[in-house]
Amino acid sequence: MVETIRVNLKVNGKQYVLDIPPDERLIDTLRYRLGFTSIKEGCGRGECGSCIVLVNGLPRHSCLTLTATLDGAEILTVEGLAPEGKLHAIQVAFLETRGVQCGFCTPAFMLLTKALLDKTLDPSDEEIKQWLASAICRCGSYHYYFKAVRKAAEYLKKGKILFDEKEVRKNLYKLPLLR
Amino acid sequence: MSKPEYVEIVEKVFDKTRSKPTKEFKYIGKEILRWDAISKIRGEKIFVADLINLFKNPVFVYSVRTKYAHARIKKIDVSEAEKYPGVIRVLTYKDIPGINDVGYVIPDQPLLADKKVRYIGDTVALVIAESLENARDAGELVNVEYEPLEVILDPLKIVEWGGLREKEHTLIHDERGSDVVSRYKIRAGDIKKAEQEAAVVIENEYRTPMQEHAYIETEAAIAIPEPNGGVTIYAKTQCPFDTRRAVAQVLGLPFSMVRVIAPSLGGGFGGAEDVGNEIAAKAALAALVTKRPAVVLFTREESIIGHAKRHPMIARYKHMAARDGALLGVEAEIILDTGAYASLGPFVGWRAIVHSTGPYRVKNAKIDLAVVYTNKVYAGAFRGFGNPQVSFAVERQMDLLAEELGIDPVEIRLKNALRNGDRTVHGQLLDHGVGLVEAIQKAVEAANWYEKRKLYANQKGLLRRGIGIAVMYHGNSIGAEGADFSSATIIIQRDGSIIFRTGLTDFGQGAIQGIVNIIAETLGVPPTYIKVEWPDTAATPDAGPTVASRSTVMGGNAALVAAYRLRQRLNRLASELLGCDPEKIVIDAPDVYCSDDPENKITWQELVEQSFWKGVPLQEFGYFRAPPAEWDEETGQGAPYMHYTFGAIISDVELDMETGVVRVKEAVTAYDIGRLINKTGADLHAIGGYIQGMGYAIMEDLYYSPDGKVYNVSLSTYHVPTALDIPEKITPIWVEAGFRRGPYGAKGLGEPSIVAIAPSIANAVANALGGRVEVSKDVNKIPLTPDYIYSIIKKHKLLRK
Ligand code: FES
Ligand code: FES
Repeated sequence: MVETIRVNLKVNGKQYVLDIPPDERLIDTLRYRLGFTSIKEGCGRGECGSCIVLVNGLPRHSCLTLTATLDGAEILTVEGLAPEGKLHAIQVAFLETRGVQCGFCTPAFMLLTKALLDKTLDPSDEEIKQWLASAICRCGSYHYYFKAVRKAAEYLKKGKILFDEKEVRKNLYKLPLLR
Repeated sequence: MSKPEYVEIVEKVFDKTRSKPTKEFKYIGKEILRWDAISKIRGEKIFVADLINLFKNPVFVYSVRTKYAHARIKKIDVSEAEKYPGVIRVLTYKDIPGINDVGYVIPDQPLLADKKVRYIGDTVALVIAESLENARDAGELVNVEYEPLEVILDPLKIVEWGGLREKEHTLIHDERGSDVVSRYKIRAGDIKKAEQEAAVVIENEYRTPMQEHAYIETEAAIAIPEPNGGVTIYAKTQCPFDTRRAVAQVLGLPFSMVRVIAPSLGGGFGGAEDVGNEIAAKAALAALVTKRPAVVLFTREESIIGHAKRHPMIARYKHMAARDGALLGVEAEIILDTGAYASLGPFVGWRAIVHSTGPYRVKNAKIDLAVVYTNKVYAGAFRGFGNPQVSFAVERQMDLLAEELGIDPVEIRLKNALRNGDRTVHGQLLDHGVGLVEAIQKAVEAANWYEKRKLYANQKGLLRRGIGIAVMYHGNSIGAEGADFSSATIIIQRDGSIIFRTGLTDFGQGAIQGIVNIIAETLGVPPTYIKVEWPDTAATPDAGPTVASRSTVMGGNAALVAAYRLRQRLNRLASELLGCDPEKIVIDAPDVYCSDDPENKITWQELVEQSFWKGVPLQEFGYFRAPPAEWDEETGQGAPYMHYTFGAIISDVELDMETGVVRVKEAVTAYDIGRLINKTGADLHAIGGYIQGMGYAIMEDLYYSPDGKVYNVSLSTYHVPTALDIPEKITPIWVEAGFRRGPYGAKGLGEPSIVAIAPSIANAVANALGGRVEVSKDVNKIPLTPDYIYSIIKKHKLLRK
């Protein structure tokens, strides 16, 4: 029998008590044990950044983190950015600036944005670049993502954090929706 | 022979809308949010590996790879591995029920190595276990007895200059009796005479690297055994129908028993073409053996050593020109290194030779090209498909000619550029839709070319600037590579929503959104009504492969044909309901009315409901086949592609003379894509293609140890551009010269977006180095790494002046 370790984790606002093997990676706990698949594995070595999640508000490579070391921690993934039916200002900004291509990298870039904007709502261009350099977008959407960060900062400054998803759809398309 | 109806529809739509400016369309050319954007920013389960949790009790499949890059296999013993805890089975070539081959174009690539291994990624056994860890650990216990053979990494050990004859060497593919996969040639005019008449002749050798796609999603497949003995596979693949063929062949099953579904892909760039077949076959085999869902997941290292790369090229070019810069002739020998297996190499070689003289009027040409095997990772499809390699050489040559003749690089290109009414080097008449000159002019203006060129002359400092231009053309779709058809299904649902089915995949490139825009425009409904289904060989029609910049044109045409027919039917019904001519019906959903009586309207939903009651069928299938391409093997004459996308790229770089570091500061891309269909996607693609091309130009290459192991198998050693490496600004410009056989006149952009990036950067670097021919000639190899550039600076003592 593999020994397990008991870990208390808060993921996306919900409390979990998990008995897990000591060598289990956070990415596997989140993706396969708990089903938060927005986090992606692109390398497993801390190089691509697509597995980034926020641990106590700061970006962390979930592929290089052992869950057993996180007792009592609070974790945020894209699934936790907004409740059902709502979208977070960062998600709206990423939609509006239209940089999503294959979208495999997008969750990580949104979480990097979240951590940066939690720190300051007036990041300099250089700061934005530095923060976003923690993940790779092979489709090459960087310029769009820079814009998304600024756009999200604007919303957050105005205190607009959550948006109604239906409204967003309507405004984004500026086109009639079927329902 | 009369024209097929589908060709008539495409041409009719083009003729009717030819003079309509793009801005007057309702959906075409607009910045419409892509169909899957919301699910992507919500992090929904749309990629293969996200689905694993949905299947109970899966097994995991690990590929045990060879320890030698070239060896004969004497014995494979899996008995120890099979005893390892958690291991269910270990499979070798003997366990393959069908044909042990996943070669894409020619049958040269076993799924599981049998007699030989030919590169470091070859799989010798598959371990199937309860967990991936178990499978990996057990893999260590697979015992293979090898007889190592000479490892050949240099294509010049296979063929030699002066005719590209094959040399004596240890054969990699003994079973074929030769390591030359294929040869192509162009013979046009009289090259000897051209050389005699030439005022200048420029000769140089060029080398391009083995580029890795580095899509962020690594390979993944899940296979589920079906009750009837068949199998369903979710796989990261660009071409589900090709994947089905490969899997069926390996399993010895009819196509109908193999179902391949391709969810969203986290990047493809051509690389998810044949490895998709391999992973699907591995998963399917394990699923059928164990009767459980089987998962294949590649690590980054496996991905880098295990999937096809961009062919490295070595080429010798000789350009001949008159005093005024007019090109008289081009002579070249080109070697493409396809690594251990042909993959799409024969087609890559063909595309390379077609484009080997650039988008210029060339009357005299003698080109020879050979695609050869080595013991490197196999090379196959990668955005551009042979064209970026030859374009690098050609566009450097054009700059050297310009320098030698004292002509501006823009002027020499304008002098020779293909125009409407010209013939290509293959003798193909381009009677319309050639927007190259306009692209050059627009790029030159936007980049401030002439001013900057003056500004950057005679620099002395440690940081120097340079500006360079490169132009390109790129044949749309697969041309003479094979039967070129596409199909699509559109089904209007009873509530007015619409289901669109295509076998084309979406790996981020934006073409599917382009097709959605085409359907929306044609039917008169907002794109938001249209739902795109996942490509599924059991449900979506075969649209041909998602390759070759063909989705917008070929997939778009098929969808246009289907939408057009539906629209005709709806117009007729609406005319009965509203009492005007069918031609006068305006559908601007949710409103439907007669153009002369807009007040009197019905809704789209009412029209759809009436169709159900009145027996008007609301599903339609569309098909389009490209006109057969022509190609004479002996002379390279004919009409290789139905049409070409054209482009001009200008790059502005900064060069650190003390370190050799190159940084791109700004760039302008101008492409003639016939008609701008999907503005958002096109802009993203021009910019993203530029960034990937910049990686190719200055940082990306795969490095091998002498025994054929890849040194840089991670993203910290294989460098791709990050947010800190990219130019401040990349400006996309669109030229819309039209194409009569494209949907609303559109041409492809997928591959063109990378073709001329590297030469534009190399030309800018040569400019920054001072633009003297003897120095510039040394800028003949990419990537332009700091050590390489610094070696040029040192050799020519450029820093002291
Ligand atoms: S998967 Fe963690 S950094 Fe790449
Ligand atoms: S959108 Fe594809 S990797 Fe970023």
